[in-house]
Amino acid sequence: MNIEYFDDETLMAFADGELDEATSLRVEAALDHDEALAARLAVFLDTRLAVASAVKPLIDEPVPEALADSVRRVVQEAEAAKVATGEKNVLAFPGRETRQQVERRQWLLPIAASILAVITGVGGFVAGRSGLQPGNSLDTALFAALDAQPSGSEVALTDTQTLHIVATFTDGRGELCREYDLRRAQENTTTVACRANGAWVTRLALTSPRTEGYVPASSQDMVDAYLTTIEAGEPLAADAEKSALAKAE
Amino acid sequence: MQTVPQRLVAFLPNLRRFAISLCHSRELADDLVQAACERAIVAADSFAPDTRFDAWMFRILRNLWIDHLRRARTAGPQDELEKAENVSVPSGEAAAHARMELQEVTAALQKLPDEQREVLVLVCVEELSYRDAADVLSIPIGTVMSRLARARKNLAELTGISLGEKRSSGTKGGVA
Repeated sequence: MNIEYFDDETLMAFADGELDEATSLRVEAALDHDEALAARLAVFLDTRLAVASAVKPLIDEPVPEALADSVRRVVQEAEAAKVATGEKNVLAFPGRETRQQVERRQWLLPIAASILAVITGVGGFVAGRSGLQPGNSLDTALFAALDAQPSGSEVALTDTQTLHIVATFTDGRGELCREYDLRRAQENTTTVACRANGAWVTRLALTSPRTEGYVPASSQDMVDAYLTTIEAGEPLAADAEKSALAKAE
Repeated sequence: MQTVPQRLVAFLPNLRRFAISLCHSRELADDLVQAACERAIVAADSFAPDTRFDAWMFRILRNLWIDHLRRARTAGPQDELEKAENVSVPSGEAAAHARMELQEVTAALQKLPDEQREVLVLVCVEELSYRDAADVLSIPIGTVMSRLARARKNLAELTGISLGEKRSSGTKGGVA
């Protein structure tokens, strides 16, 4: 009598229900009279069962609250950001991240999540003032300065407000962005604005009380964390900044 | 139709189970799960709604794990092995009821090469098809099958599940 030989992969596929019908019928027929084949098949059936019984119960283990909370928060904020901006993704990290960014992001996660809330929070503010608005002399002066002045420069916008441009860089999407401080007597607003459709659009604005002329560390941490989330590149050198600003105008 | 973020929360227990079976450490697993969720939200647009959400998530998490391993390797010897726990044994009260056999299987699983263990878990625990497992692992389906077959024969050998002999209950010998 001819004994058909089935290799391990075929037997395994039979055990896993992945074998086509015609071959399955042949295996079944052979199993009737081939005990060695049945024993080989048993290995695949038994191991599947054994692994399933050993590992499956892990799913009943409660998810640690800290993990569940932090995922829920990220989820909620992603949803909120979607609603607020009408975009699919505010936290876009296109392209490949550098190893350093990935590592930084691990501990930055909680901060980044809270920043999303801030960004979402200023949504109304941003919408109200994004783009050039004739008649608003402060914005006109501010945008003109952002278009032309190099980083490090100070511009008196009004009697009470001074603009200090910190840096120019491109984000992960290739948009040209600038970080600047608006200094008033009692407070300081650190802003990240990016050039989109011919206007400077505020992405992040953090206002904090002025303490001896310095931005409080926590505020700077948030700015740094935000810059990481938008994949901000290195600050442009003077020459590169000049040509980038000229191009953007 | 639920969005990716909405599905994530419900999927956490599955994702965590897969992460634990990959890395043997609950602590590491939780970090991985968190990173994978975050990555998934960012990459939500790349999820095709007519494909399996679980396979997509497993793939993201597994890629993060591979990245982690690569980093750990270049960073020199790490203490990960020391941190490894006997994870598959349910903790707490359930542990008391965990059967010796399951512990044996768990121990054997941890002895398997990573590439064999991951395919084993995807197919036998998460019940992915060979095709879906191939997608998760970015390898041809033929490789999934040969790896999976080898993994199961190794596991059978390690645990004393009858190998090529006639099956008879109660005669689970040691490693042949």
